[in-house]
Amino acid sequence: MGESVNVTRRTMLAASAAGACALALGTTAVSAKEAAAAGEASPGSDATEVRYGFLTALSRCSGCGRCVEACREGNELSEDTPDRRRVSSFKRSRGRTFFISTSCMHCAEPSCMKVCPAGAISKDEHGVVQVDPNRCIGCKYCFQACPYEVPQYNSVSMDKCDCCQKAGIAIGEEDPYCVRACKFGALKFGPLEELLEATNGSAVPIAEPNDPSCLVLGTE
Amino acid sequence: MELQSVWGWQPALYLFLGGMGAGAFIMAAILYLKDGQRNARIVCVSMWAAAASLIAGLLLLLMELVTPVRGLMMWQSFSHFTSWMTYGAWGAFGAIAAFGVSAVLATPKAGAWLAEKCSWYAGHEQGVRKAFAVAGIVLGAFVAFYTGMLLMASENVPFWNTMLLPALFTVSAFDTGVALVEVVAIALAKREAIGADAKRFMEKCVVVLVAVEAVVLAAFLGSMLLADAGTPVGAAAAASAGMFVSGQLAVWFWGLVALAGLALPFAMALKGLLAKEGNAEVAAAAAQADASVCADAGACVVAEASVDVPTLVGAIGALVGGCALRFLVLAAGIHADVVADTIMKMIG
Repeated sequence: MGESVNVTRRTMLAASAAGACALALGTTAVSAKEAAAAGEASPGSDATEVRYGFLTALSRCSGCGRCVEACREGNELSEDTPDRRRVSSFKRSRGRTFFISTSCMHCAEPSCMKVCPAGAISKDEHGVVQVDPNRCIGCKYCFQACPYEVPQYNSVSMDKCDCCQKAGIAIGEEDPYCVRACKFGALKFGPLEELLEATNGSAVPIAEPNDPSCLVLGTE
Repeated sequence: MELQSVWGWQPALYLFLGGMGAGAFIMAAILYLKDGQRNARIVCVSMWAAAASLIAGLLLLLMELVTPVRGLMMWQSFSHFTSWMTYGAWGAFGAIAAFGVSAVLATPKAGAWLAEKCSWYAGHEQGVRKAFAVAGIVLGAFVAFYTGMLLMASENVPFWNTMLLPALFTVSAFDTGVALVEVVAIALAKREAIGADAKRFMEKCVVVLVAVEAVVLAAFLGSMLLADAGTPVGAAAAASAGMFVSGQLAVWFWGLVALAGLALPFAMALKGLLAKEGNAEVAAAAAQADASVCADAGACVVAEASVDVPTLVGAIGALVGGCALRFLVLAAGIHADVVADTIMKMIG
């Protein structure tokens, strides 16, 4: 039986050198194609038109943590804001360790949105789950409800991945900072159906609860 | 195993104070509805204590918020009615209003002042007080139930995601509420001795409530321990319950919840019920004399009453146990690691 642990930023940076060899694997960037119409979702609402999500490839992730750092820098996260992305490691029973980089799963049925008393959480037309920091009261109920323990809190409100939209990334035109920072092609972003097609249907949802918009490609 | 720490001591104490306040009001209101004259001071102080508990609990909850000021703007911050927190906030708000009005009306000076200023109230005092008592009972029952529903609605914490949790918190709220009224009665014993029938009624309530709570608690923990550990949800449920029964929380659970919170009040209440009938008759006669003086003069005579140690010990045990139960349930609420389950199946 293997084991899983979360990897700290320090550990990830140290691992980055060892992971450099994975560069040889190359990468196939997923180009997101559709630029959805602009417009803000109303509080607590779901305006999904095209469902975007992440694809993470187990065999390619070196655990370097560049995605975590790029996310922090690109989104200009304050010192008191925890990382939006985390890298976890899983050790196979016969020794090899695998890494996986995850953030908000942008679920089709987000528990956080349901339990938020203030209606501060909504889904936009890309299926991206967003929080309005001006409505959030910071009750932390969303953390308890989230199957993936994603919501984090700073001194202002809940904070989590918004696919870099507030940092100026237009979905469908540019990839989020984490995807752009990955040198190994372990992280991709795009319409969920296209991501699945690109793997010939071999990627699977990262888990069942809430129908997450995150696929995992296993050991190739 | 790592304990749940995102919700700290303030929500845990709120769950206890909210439940206890709701239970205390219900007990006090029942005493009032049973007899509008006797035990008036105990009813009055208990209602004030119930309102104060609920207010203190909500203030603690506000302290836990990242932006407490925004939380005070209830019309905006609790406007999303898919959340149990929204229902709870408004329910608690209504309960505070009902508890507070009942407490004010139960206060002799305030009641007399109102009757003097408003002739309609003077003619309908009992009806108005009964209406607020009934409204407070309904809202109190909702608040007691809600404290469990708040956790249960966190569907991805397996230890909380069962109807047995609101059932447990509701029974425990009633149980701790009775205990608070008992403590109030003992504190006021020298000014107003509690009627023997009211004392026996509360002892019967304690015996029944503690017995029901023990059964619900056993069913709750049993269902968690027997969950399918082959699934991440079942494994998390079993791990949480394991912390209670034999893990890192076991000392606190067995000592504070099982022994102090259940066994002690049960034994003390049973002891009181089984006390010699002769003693009960003497107490009843003394209490009736006191009550008639209270009702006639509007003030109670100072009675020669000794502290009812067994009842006090049982009540304090129930309060400690009820408080510990909320802290422990909150601490043991760990998420199921559903991602690890997927990945481990992939990599073998």
